[in-house]
Amino acid sequence: MGIYAEPRFLPCGDLALSVELGDDINREVNARVLALEYLIQRTPLAGVTETVPSYRSLLVYYDPLAIGWDALTASLQDLWLRARPEVLPPARTVEIPCCYAPDLGFELEAAAAKIDLPPDEMARLHASADYYVYFVGFTPGLPYMTGMPERLTIPRLDQPRTKTPPGSVSIGGIQCCIYSVESPGGFWVLGRTPLRLYDPAAAEPSLLRAGDHVRFHMIDRAEFDAIAAAVAEGRYAPRIRQA
Amino acid sequence: MPNMVVHEAGPQTTVQDLGRRGALRAGIPPSGPMDREAFLLANRLVGNADDAAALECTLIGPRIEFADARWVAVTGADMAATLNGRDMPRWAGFAVEAGDVLRLAPARSGVRAYVAVSGGIDTPPALGSRSTYLRGCLGGFEGRALRRGDRLPLGPASGGGPAAVREEMIPDYTAEPTVRVVLGPQDDRFSSHGIAALFDGPYEMTQQSDRMGARLRGARIEHTRGHDIISDGVPMGGIQVVGDGQPIVLLADRQSTGGYTKIGAVCSFDIGRVCQVRPGQRLRFRRVSVAEAHEFLRAYRKELDEAIAFP
Repeated sequence: MGIYAEPRFLPCGDLALSVELGDDINREVNARVLALEYLIQRTPLAGVTETVPSYRSLLVYYDPLAIGWDALTASLQDLWLRARPEVLPPARTVEIPCCYAPDLGFELEAAAAKIDLPPDEMARLHASADYYVYFVGFTPGLPYMTGMPERLTIPRLDQPRTKTPPGSVSIGGIQCCIYSVESPGGFWVLGRTPLRLYDPAAAEPSLLRAGDHVRFHMIDRAEFDAIAAAVAEGRYAPRIRQA
Repeated sequence: MPNMVVHEAGPQTTVQDLGRRGALRAGIPPSGPMDREAFLLANRLVGNADDAAALECTLIGPRIEFADARWVAVTGADMAATLNGRDMPRWAGFAVEAGDVLRLAPARSGVRAYVAVSGGIDTPPALGSRSTYLRGCLGGFEGRALRRGDRLPLGPASGGGPAAVREEMIPDYTAEPTVRVVLGPQDDRFSSHGIAALFDGPYEMTQQSDRMGARLRGARIEHTRGHDIISDGVPMGGIQVVGDGQPIVLLADRQSTGGYTKIGAVCSFDIGRVCQVRPGQRLRFRRVSVAEAHEFLRAYRKELDEAIAFP
């Protein structure tokens, strides 16, 4: 269990391969995935056209007429030896304002009853934790995060919703998720952020990146409306700290 | 600014170039043409660079009026093309004048046709590409499919001429294609029966297919240990198999990552053929190794470079 002694190189058609570094979900293996990606970008590795990190593997797109399978896997193997968390630049911490009011966090009360906590206490616990973004994916700007307090563990909804508003901060299992675009969902919606996790008009359309830390900042309904208005007018700068 | 006007749009006509690179790690797919081969040939016929933006038309083509003299080429799905009511060749360049109206009829075979115009479509790039990503409202013309009345800006007209694609290179979309597949990354999660089923085929295209993925129906592909995996990157052409044992080929607008087993991936040079298969039509899969796939790719690119006969 954990990190493999050697990376696995798995074919993904003729233009991509997956470098798998471990067999479970943890920060250590994910940091090595991100470190490997960082080293590929910094080198840069000729023939590699794009990389996509996830929990424990890195999908590497390449042009086989520029670099063959053997040369590519040999180079990746070399980089993997140096792919340690220390090579990564300092992580960012992104502050995400979140309003837990009942009309936005429309399942907070039911979720709190389900795990036998007062709603206020549930919101406070949820907002107090330090979350870590393993990667961004599935839909534009959607963070896959860890760090939720165990006390908030909750089974997913029996009946998934067909539509969840963008910005919905929600939980299911031991996961916390922020919906980036309107989509179906099986998580309990505890609150909503006025920030756009995906903004097609922005130079960098995803607010979050793999390796970021996220802190939720509790706001009331008036603050939510004020920030939402500022976001709509393009005059809100999210608070981002580089450690 | 030179432009062309959309009189009728068709059900899903979008601006596409070769696609967006580098945004998958933000969850944004590359988009780009579903049938890259037909798209490239259309651009080359009118003297455009391979990455110029052109129109992708789905099942029913648009009606477009030109505002100045251009060269135009129509490739891909068999949509009969007329200019001011006169029949025009497909897979060949032809000249248009200001005021000419091009109309594409519903496709007789295939799904997606491409209309390239010399100078290319000059909508503002988003994240380095003019490709339309419909679900993300990104790129193309205002991030959406075209509508009646849209005016598409065009780049300065440059090349073009009466070039034509060689007859033997024009695909027959009524035929049942066999597309080549490399196994992996999760082929070890399927039984030998499951893998044999995929290659015994055939599989039928269903209505639930779009730019994100092609849902197929056929013999059940059997798993060994369930269909959930630790979510990972989804390659172009990846064949995802969920609990019902039916394959979904993930395409240009696919999710960047996913949590279901992928038995294999369709090779880049055959993905266009998958995208021209209509609901109810069937296709087959053939297994190739990575090394074989790269040899096929080399030969394919050469063939494509020689596909057009210039007068």
